[in-house]
Amino acid sequence: MAAKGEKHSPLEQFEIIPFTRTEIGGYDISFTNSSLSMIITVAVITLFLTLTVNARSLVPTRMQLISELMYNFVAQLLTDTVGDNGKKYFPFVFSLFMFVLIGNMVGMVPYQFTFTSHIIVTFALASVVFIGVTILGFVNHGIKFFTFFYIPGVPFYMHPLLIPIEIISYLSRPISLSVRLFANMLAGHTLLKVFAGFVVAMPFFTGALPLVFIVALTGLEILIAFLQAYVFAILTCLYINDAYHLH
Amino acid sequence: MPQLNPEFFVSQLFWLVVTFSFLLVFLWRISLPRISNVLEKRERKINEDLTAAKELQSEAENIQDKIEQQLKKARSDASELIKSSSATLQEKSQIEISKLEKELDEKINDSSKKIEKSKNESVNQIQGQINEITKLTLSKVTSFEVTEDEIKNAIKNSERSLN
Repeated sequence: MAAKGEKHSPLEQFEIIPFTRTEIGGYDISFTNSSLSMIITVAVITLFLTLTVNARSLVPTRMQLISELMYNFVAQLLTDTVGDNGKKYFPFVFSLFMFVLIGNMVGMVPYQFTFTSHIIVTFALASVVFIGVTILGFVNHGIKFFTFFYIPGVPFYMHPLLIPIEIISYLSRPISLSVRLFANMLAGHTLLKVFAGFVVAMPFFTGALPLVFIVALTGLEILIAFLQAYVFAILTCLYINDAYHLH
Repeated sequence: MPQLNPEFFVSQLFWLVVTFSFLLVFLWRISLPRISNVLEKRERKINEDLTAAKELQSEAENIQDKIEQQLKKARSDASELIKSSSATLQEKSQIEISKLEKELDEKINDSSKKIEKSKNESVNQIQGQINEITKLTLSKVTSFEVTEDEIKNAIKNSERSLN
């Protein structure tokens, strides 16, 4: 909380604060709180996955078990949705899942910036998935990939209606994928800040009530942080599956 | 809303690409092979142990079968042995018993003879002592002098009357 009398927006937490002002070839690559958050996320993931499995013990320690559970969780997800074809994409899907999951979790730490609450970040991630899956579809099926928009077993007069719908739904995939994550993070963190504002603003001890809500909402937010990472990963798996099996 | 401010879009994209590429390459090349290595090693170990356990189990079953057969054989052997030995024992004991009976009979005869003999001896002795006592008593109490033959006759008479 800053100086008295100043109005605080619940959106202030999403403000990007540059630590350096750097430009290379006319492009801005300033190191910001968002960049710091990303680096912390990557450091947490790589250190955890490396150190816990360092012993490579046959009977795992608790920490090693966590790494193995994460590995098996994503591997199971991929084989369940894509099957054996999916093994190639495991490193990507695992990285994506961990990046979003730990990014969300790092954002739950007070005063930490949540980079997954920025549409540009989630949209970039979703675009990578979308473009990759589209290329994969054309590599696998060539020009036949366009039959993806043709739904077999439907009366012929429905096609003029269904094909545009299919195309629009396909093209809106990166938007829905990115906005889902972005909006969830934005809403959750904003809600927390709104209730935090109530704690300060309410008279006497009545501020304890919104505080209780904050505690409960924090639990909910942690659940959502996991759930959104899971949704992001499973949708990626489903899109990869679509690139292999056209209806 | 700060999210819609394009001022830092390029910077964020740049750092996203840098960090995510690093993460992807690191996990792909280092972390994930390690974990899958451990998982495979464990699976192999478990499978090996399972097959070893199965082998051991079948081995144990074989041994169990062998033991049971041996037990069966041992039981039948033992029952035969018991039968035959009980027969021979019966014979032997029959012989022993008859021998013993003979010996006992002899001993009984001997001893009954001895008893008879000692009985007669003691009867004679007692007879003599009685005669002596009677003679002494008579001479002390009365003045009768009696011969031994008289005393003998008198005692015989009294014995007869007693009987």
